Amino acid sequence: MAHDLRDSPQLEPDVSKSLLPQSCQLVIFGATGDLSWRKLLPAVYNLNIDGVLPTHFAVVGFGLPAEGRVSGDPDEYIRQRAKDGINRFSRQPLDDNHWADFARALFLVPGSFNDARAYAQLKAKMEAIDQQFGIPGSRVYYLAVPPILVGTCVEHLKSAGMIADPQEQRSFTRVIVEKPIGRDLQSARDIMRVVGACFAESQTYRIDHYLGKETVQNLLVLRFANSIFEPLWNQKYIDHVQITVAEEEGLAQYDPKTGEMIATRAGYYEGVGALRDMVQNHMLQVLCLVAMEPPWSLKPDVVRDAKVGVLNCLRHMTPADVEKNVVRAQYIEGDIEGKRVPGYRKEVRESFEVMKKPLPPESVHSTTETFVALKLFIDNWRWAGVPFYLRTGKRMPKRASEVAIQFKDVPQVLFSAQADVPLEPVVLSLRVQPEEGLAMRIASKLPGPKVHIYPVKMEFNYSSSFGGTSPEAYERLILDVMAGDATLFMRRDGVEAAWRFVMPILDHWEQLHVRDLPEYQCGTWGPVEADRIIVPDGRHWRTL
Amino acid sequence: MTESKPRTVSLGAVERELLRQMKELQGPGERPVQRARMANLVIYCDSQERAARLNDEIPEVVNVHPARVLLLVADAESPSTELETTVLVRPLRIGSHSFGFSEQVTLTAGRGAVHHLPFAVRALLIGDLPTNLWWAAPVAPPFAGPLLYELAEHAQQIVYDSMGWPDPARGVAATASWLDQIERGGPGRWRVASDVNWRRLKYWRRMLTQSLEGAEDRGLFESASEIRVEHGRHAVVQAWMLMSWLTGQLGWKVQTGRVEPGIEMIWRFHGPTGEPLLRIHRTEEGPPEIQRIRIGCQIDERDAALDLYVQDGQRLAMRVEGVEEAPRTLTVPPHSPAELVGRQLSDRERDPDFRASMSVAQVMARSLLE
Repeated sequence: MAHDLRDSPQLEPDVSKSLLPQSCQLVIFGATGDLSWRKLLPAVYNLNIDGVLPTHFAVVGFGLPAEGRVSGDPDEYIRQRAKDGINRFSRQPLDDNHWADFARALFLVPGSFNDARAYAQLKAKMEAIDQQFGIPGSRVYYLAVPPILVGTCVEHLKSAGMIADPQEQRSFTRVIVEKPIGRDLQSARDIMRVVGACFAESQTYRIDHYLGKETVQNLLVLRFANSIFEPLWNQKYIDHVQITVAEEEGLAQYDPKTGEMIATRAGYYEGVGALRDMVQNHMLQVLCLVAMEPPWSLKPDVVRDAKVGVLNCLRHMTPADVEKNVVRAQYIEGDIEGKRVPGYRKEVRESFEVMKKPLPPESVHSTTETFVALKLFIDNWRWAGVPFYLRTGKRMPKRASEVAIQFKDVPQVLFSAQADVPLEPVVLSLRVQPEEGLAMRIASKLPGPKVHIYPVKMEFNYSSSFGGTSPEAYERLILDVMAGDATLFMRRDGVEAAWRFVMPILDHWEQLHVRDLPEYQCGTWGPVEADRIIVPDGRHWRTL
Repeated sequence: MTESKPRTVSLGAVERELLRQMKELQGPGERPVQRARMANLVIYCDSQERAARLNDEIPEVVNVHPARVLLLVADAESPSTELETTVLVRPLRIGSHSFGFSEQVTLTAGRGAVHHLPFAVRALLIGDLPTNLWWAAPVAPPFAGPLLYELAEHAQQIVYDSMGWPDPARGVAATASWLDQIERGGPGRWRVASDVNWRRLKYWRRMLTQSLEGAEDRGLFESASEIRVEHGRHAVVQAWMLMSWLTGQLGWKVQTGRVEPGIEMIWRFHGPTGEPLLRIHRTEEGPPEIQRIRIGCQIDERDAALDLYVQDGQRLAMRVEGVEEAPRTLTVPPHSPAELVGRQLSDRERDPDFRASMSVAQVMARSLLE
């Protein structure tokens, strides 16, 4: 029940106050891992440069590197790792002064997540850091760990007495749970039950970094702060919506000089696939923002109620619907950035060799989808009959995510003389990444004596209009957790509703026991099979 | 403001580098960068020499129709297996007070890297803008192989120039069939193909159309016994297309054809009142274009001729031989090849006259090849 989840005054914070992060320690579980290296540590570094972190603040990493042990000083180890990640991935370059300030408040406690003694060491270290930095015992635990380890971590935290009561006034404890929450509905419920047994809902922040992106947040502003859009935002005027999340990256990363594999996500991705990795969370969350009813306030639970309202209206698919409206595929050898790159199965095999782990039998001929396209419907008054086409894939020609609203055609009366060149429909596209911004394509008359129509594109680009670089999504979201603002985080009922929509698809796929998936070359926009869910409707996938 | 210095970057760094160069050219200040781009223009050529010529022409093309230019250079001389990517930004005057920027990415592929080009193009196209492929290689598009099809995957228009095709008869025959394959309809999927050479014929066709008006009453074209077209080097296909259009308009049907290599092509037609002859004759001198059309006919049962020719290089003139009256003239605005391409980019409607002309041209070509 929704009202059960609002059991704390912290769930409805004053919005202006919520923007002030409170003193705390950020404790990153899995600090030696890929997410921390690429995103989390650079994000905190950027917050440090921007001067928005609380004055009493420190970062404590927890975990073990892949090699199983840290040789030398653990704090120096994590500092070097952070420095490397910042050098490679930070939106702002490494600055010696800022780095020194950041590094002195960065620590690592090496230890296994299922080792009670390690938690004791962590606790002791945190208490010492509280003393050193004047932190009032507040904690933000960031669980950057695989879903299977979430329960282990929170139970140990509870057993070790490392979770403050949600009613505690002097300090707070909050936990950030990374997606995916589970690998199906049941495991998601299991994780949320275990987390719920240790943390109150008001202490729990289920993160989806897409929701921290400027353009995604701008969706609400675009829709509800501009009078021209909302009256058109319905089945009467909108022909269809396309949401695309295209990744250039594949499973593995290679050194451009030597061609050697330098990083791989195989341990996480293999067996998970695009539907779980992208659709169930990011894409459905974005869909919610596109399709939700106007919330009556920007209080976190009001916005989240409106989003869950969309998920509850998604038309669930029968096996026949899945066959007709969902296409999955896997990339094969192709071309990215002018270089030949291997297919998915080869990358899986090589990844396990690099990780020095045995290849699981089901991965020998992996049927993990790296591409999925689907057509779905929202059965409510606003969206009746409007198809939403979702498409995501790895190893596509470029990294590009967008929401495109295609408006219905005008009656073909005035300007239909040339049937071979139909009028391009009006499209409003919101680019989530890269080059966040929005564009609108409209028809215009070409100058000259005859009526020739030409599509023109009006563009707004954040970086060229406002200058500088927008904060990374993780920066905004980590700051929100420190401030206690849960607006951009997923609520438990929202996660369950998303899984309920996805489960019939996963169940049907599991029953099929396919040996091979449709294929697409790296560097292309997906398999030809993806056309079958859109072309018969008289529409086509957009070129991004 | 001058153009930026071309800079070689990795393919993944193109967008960042474009923005950097634009900001650098714009200088300090808060104004948003204005990017002038109405279309994607993918240009394919097959030599460095041709690429250098195109580089000179591109500013004029984008001045007529601002576009993101992707210049693809397949350099058969180079054994490289890598793509080299060079980025260049040019200022473009917008109105009287402000500047925008046009952008060019040059992708150079050695022999071993040509297959990378379609992938690179996919990554660099801008969505929601019409995409044009300018096939700037001397080989006729039907003979280009799968590369052209891959490059044209997202194109709504393929622009080519039949000027100077090395084997005109085979080129014309194959292109007419190719047009049927490559052009398509349907929302969002349509595609047209356009020959720059056909665009060059605009004023000749206008002149001939004006000649046809009223000529019917005088039986001028009905009595035509021979049409002789003179053209300069490289302009045989131009002359051929004009004549295939004209004979189609007149309802003539091809009977036989023969060719005297490098000199003349001759066809005999079935006309309404006889078997007229068409000669397309190459002259050794003069510019690479149609220079004169002489239509031998009868007026008032006397032998006569309609003479159409280029006058002073700026206008077309028409007169009836033996009649003392001032020739009718039509001013032809000078259009460089680059300007013709630029204008073609916004002209995306299928031209039924072009297709009809190509159908007749194909029959004419087959009569030569049989």
